[in-house]
Amino acid sequence: MTRVLVVEDDTWLADSHGAVLQNAGYEVETIPHPLAVMDAIDAVLPDVIILDVLLGGATAFALLNELQSHSDTQAIPLVLCTNLAEQLAEVQLEAYGVKRILDKTTMHPDDIVAAVKAVAE
Amino acid sequence: MHMDGGDSRYEVTPLIAAAHELKAPLALVRQLALRLEDTHLPKAERQRLLRQTILTTERALRLTSDLTKSARLEDALFTVEPINPEQLCRDIVAELTPLFEAYGREVAIEGRKHPLLLVANRDLLRRILLGFSDNALRYSLPGTAVHMQIKAFKKAGIVRIGVRDYGPALSSDMWRSLQKKLRHAPQTIHARPESSGLGLYIASQFADAMNGRIGAIRHKDGATFYVELQASMQMSLL
Repeated sequence: MTRVLVVEDDTWLADSHGAVLQNAGYEVETIPHPLAVMDAIDAVLPDVIILDVLLGGATAFALLNELQSHSDTQAIPLVLCTNLAEQLAEVQLEAYGVKRILDKTTMHPDDIVAAVKAVAE
Repeated sequence: MHMDGGDSRYEVTPLIAAAHELKAPLALVRQLALRLEDTHLPKAERQRLLRQTILTTERALRLTSDLTKSARLEDALFTVEPINPEQLCRDIVAELTPLFEAYGREVAIEGRKHPLLLVANRDLLRRILLGFSDNALRYSLPGTAVHMQIKAFKKAGIVRIGVRDYGPALSSDMWRSLQKKLRHAPQTIHARPESSGLGLYIASQFADAMNGRIGAIRHKDGATFYVELQASMQMSLL
């Protein structure tokens, strides 16, 4: 079963993403604080990471750098799910393993399933 | 785009910061509403999503109301009066308890044996404390309680009301960034990790209007945001 790690500090949005992904048959873990992300990855290496950009305590960009610095995490496909989508360019983030950018303000809940399916294959 | 998050090209006006701050609750409400369109949702799940939608809307409306108030501060006259901060905190706790419970957290007040009075405008002080509490809700860990604390500094003639949250410790970088936010207008969106500092900016304006000040204390397991106001001499005259 494909394992998805959702890094999102808004509990209700994280629950929503989790419920939609679980209904689609994915194994989901949600992490609210970026400081706990590396521990969660150490415990269970995810197949896909869904990442919010503005997180309490750090930005996703710090985490992107961290993930790229480890050989076992640099290949994990990432989906950014953010309110800042209009300010980000997918092409500039490819080097950091970002395969998709979802705009929270326009996405449909099912878009997260489509994104995970696309990048996990 | 700067990968270190330190892009300072954008000057963020309060208007832009407000638009940014409102994006998150609006996006959440939209996601919740889209999920409610699913006709196969169990009744309990539907009720939960509806409740979350209402509470999120109320949080966003509080921000819009604060913004309106903040924009009209200079034109308005504010009545200041002796206020019992403990009673005000109790009212706020009662108002926020449903929201905190929905997030799996508690909000409580640390009562005092001897009542204090301070001089403030009730509405502005209430807005400051609601803002601090909302901030604490976001940064506290699930299962923890946010505490409202009242302290007197008798020599200085000041009463401090603090809102203490229990969450991950603030790093030194974050602490420096926070100190900036306490001193200045909203920061650039890319210069801060999680919020524009708009809430602190508004709270600071409200405190200024009452000749008070806001501040923050860093703990190893969270933070306290506080407002300091003049103590009322009324009790000592009795």
